[in-house]
Amino acid sequence: MNRRNFLTLTGTFTGGMLVLPSFLHAFGTQDSLVIGEQCLVFIQLNGGNDGLNTFIPYEDPLYYEFRTKIALNKDAVLGKNKGMAFHPALKDFAQMQQNGDLSVIQNVGYPEPVRSHFRSQEIWQTAADSNKYINEGWLGRYLDLQCHDHQPTAGINLDSIENLALKGLEPNTITVKDPDRFKIKSNKENEKLSDNPQLDFVRKIANSVVEGSDDIQNALKQSKTEISYPKTGLSKNLEWIARLVKGNLNSKVYYTSLGGFDTHDNQLSIHERKLTELNDAVFSFYTDLKQAQLLQNVTIVVFSEFGRRVKDNGSGTDHGTAAPMFVIGGSNKGTILGNNPNLADLDNGDLKHQIDFRSVYASLLQQKMGFDYSKIGIKNNPVSGLF
Amino acid sequence: MKKSNLWSLRLGFSGKEAAKIKKIGLEKFLKKSYNSKFDTQLPAFLQDWPKTIAELKEYNEYVKKLDREERNKIQKKATNTREELRKWWIAKMQNEEFPLREKMVCFLHNHFVVSSNKVTTSYWIYQHNMILRENAFGNFKEMTKQMVKSNAIIKYLDNVDNKKGKINENLSRELLELFTIGIGNYTEEDVKNGAKALAGLNNGDEGAVYRKNTEDNSNKTYFGRTGNWKADNLVDIIFEQKNIPYLITRKILKWFLYDTPSEELVKYYGDYFRKVNFEIAPLLTKIFTEEYAKDISGNKIKDPLVYISQLIDELQLKDYDEAMIVAFLKQQGMDLYNQVNVKGWDGGNSWLTSQVYLQRNNTSDLLCSGRSLSKKVPNMMMGEENSKPKKELEKREVRINYDFEGNNKTIITELSNRLLFTVNESMQKDMESLLKYDFDPKDPNANFAVIRLFNYITKLPEYQLI
Repeated sequence: MNRRNFLTLTGTFTGGMLVLPSFLHAFGTQDSLVIGEQCLVFIQLNGGNDGLNTFIPYEDPLYYEFRTKIALNKDAVLGKNKGMAFHPALKDFAQMQQNGDLSVIQNVGYPEPVRSHFRSQEIWQTAADSNKYINEGWLGRYLDLQCHDHQPTAGINLDSIENLALKGLEPNTITVKDPDRFKIKSNKENEKLSDNPQLDFVRKIANSVVEGSDDIQNALKQSKTEISYPKTGLSKNLEWIARLVKGNLNSKVYYTSLGGFDTHDNQLSIHERKLTELNDAVFSFYTDLKQAQLLQNVTIVVFSEFGRRVKDNGSGTDHGTAAPMFVIGGSNKGTILGNNPNLADLDNGDLKHQIDFRSVYASLLQQKMGFDYSKIGIKNNPVSGLF
Repeated sequence: MKKSNLWSLRLGFSGKEAAKIKKIGLEKFLKKSYNSKFDTQLPAFLQDWPKTIAELKEYNEYVKKLDREERNKIQKKATNTREELRKWWIAKMQNEEFPLREKMVCFLHNHFVVSSNKVTTSYWIYQHNMILRENAFGNFKEMTKQMVKSNAIIKYLDNVDNKKGKINENLSRELLELFTIGIGNYTEEDVKNGAKALAGLNNGDEGAVYRKNTEDNSNKTYFGRTGNWKADNLVDIIFEQKNIPYLITRKILKWFLYDTPSEELVKYYGDYFRKVNFEIAPLLTKIFTEEYAKDISGNKIKDPLVYISQLIDELQLKDYDEAMIVAFLKQQGMDLYNQVNVKGWDGGNSWLTSQVYLQRNNTSDLLCSGRSLSKKVPNMMMGEENSKPKKELEKREVRINYDFEGNNKTIITELSNRLLFTVNESMQKDMESLLKYDFDPKDPNANFAVIRLFNYITKLPEYQLI
């Protein structure tokens, strides 16, 4: 095959000759303590995380009135601060906040909220108004404008499916289904074979074609796991992200998700389990980055497509609207932004949002990435006091 | 995958004929394909080019007299004409009501290989292509005779240099090794004597003719039989040999069904091919109806032509330039009338390398996001004050067919039935997280979500197989 033609056909191939775009300089060459290259790590909680039982208005009597079956005991909640406290499973979130490394942004949502998982995720991922449609994700649009031509590792998505948030006009993002695949190159031929030799052949090729995988391999070679992570899916993903960051891959955006937050039923035990998984994974990641003196370069953002109904439905909650977002690291101010949820002023039983999620996006882009958020169509003002 | 979709892909280039196959049944579909009419009109872009030997001679004299600049101009025009011919053929593949004939023409052009790089007279390539089209469901022996006497083959395999006393064995050898019986079934003496029989067979107006002063009228012994054999006699003798049906039968099985067909099947269908006196239509009917009954799939890697045609069909791209397909095929190692050597494309595993796979994925990404494969922006859109980035400008609307009355699961099933020969649990899970249970197919933007699902499917290893 004529390589030159191959490259010009779509203009999106760099083959093995990856060139770092101008904005991607290795920050391993810099003193880690100086704030240099920044990256964002998104953890999307799928299913609609119940904000009121995550960051709890434990002093509000209405909370206990609305949630007769699932309210958390005010003696069990942690990190009490101005009438708000963390779910007991989030003990390390409370710790990180005490360390000044975690900010909570309260009542985040958007106007005309949609209670469909599918559509609401689309809205969060495209940063569109709830009655508008955009086919590229907000981070994809950002990377399109940031990268010269295309840079296959500018975004890393650790998931089995591609992520709309990172979808742009150019393929600037790699989706890695299984981080263990990274290890394949260490000569392990442990492919599971089917009874179809043609399928086995194609699978083998498919596994070898992740564009930019050489860069990933290099980053992995230059780093190792220094602390022990729990054995959960999210932990594994964050452990690999930490290795890529420590190995100077210099991606701008990492994205991963945790499912299981759609707690219509049996919420107390399910939610406790999911939040524990989140807490343990994030805290390991935080500790790892902190030890490597990289936490100031990495901003972790935890969010969900919506919160849940204020009043419980028995043992669970239905789809709701506004909820808190958490920002960890990246030299954030470690505060609580926004008013406490107002349970006395509801819209059809749901919280009214006070901070638009796009204000948070604007803040991340402007203050962490040095990027003019209006270029990707965000009109909301940045949240002040976050960084 | 539904049978009608699978067989639409096997007998054509995309899922376009699935509904037809389902409606009228396979046998009727085959009959209609055999009886399909085809265009015999000389394409406009060939009108002005020389065709007869006299015209060609005159043309060559004329070109010789031109200065360099003029000559470059005319060479560029010739190159464009070769490109036009490819586009003309691709349009037929994409638009025929019964594309099986074009699928056969494509197969046969990879059997009786000629390269337009060497055979630069586009009219001869056109003739070659038309002989294949006329004989696609005819008699293989007769077709072989016509091929040996086609201007394109004569030129491509150097028979223009094969003269009495100055033998060139190229055509004689390939006639045995590649066109008919295959290596191991003939001797070097057969090659030499065959070449003598072909000596003097040179280009003519509508096909090759023997030239009196360069033909060899001595007696030759071919497969043990002696006489003053000519081209047709050679073919007759070869087709009397025991192993004649198998090479072509194996290639047919490979082209339509299996990357590695069993020798048992090759023998079974090959013997039948001999029995029906090398008539192609009955052979195809037997193979297709019997294999249809077997419910086997996923044994063949899609060739680039099927890959791109299916994408275009599924995304309902209209008004695209066939040049896009020509370019894609070239990059994927399936350039029409430009095989690397006389053996043709190997097919099977050789269609896929990691680079080719990556290119397929990226092509799917581009087309699914409504972008074209070439970076050219239409002139009319280059408004001076257009502030939108180029990438936005070249975007076009893509749609995909699905049942608006359904839900996420019915749509996933619908697409799987159309596109995937097998679906496993983890694929199903991924697809259900792409289209969640509360996905609303009537949502104004729903089409794009289904396209994302389609995009995901096209990158699966399973999608590469039929």
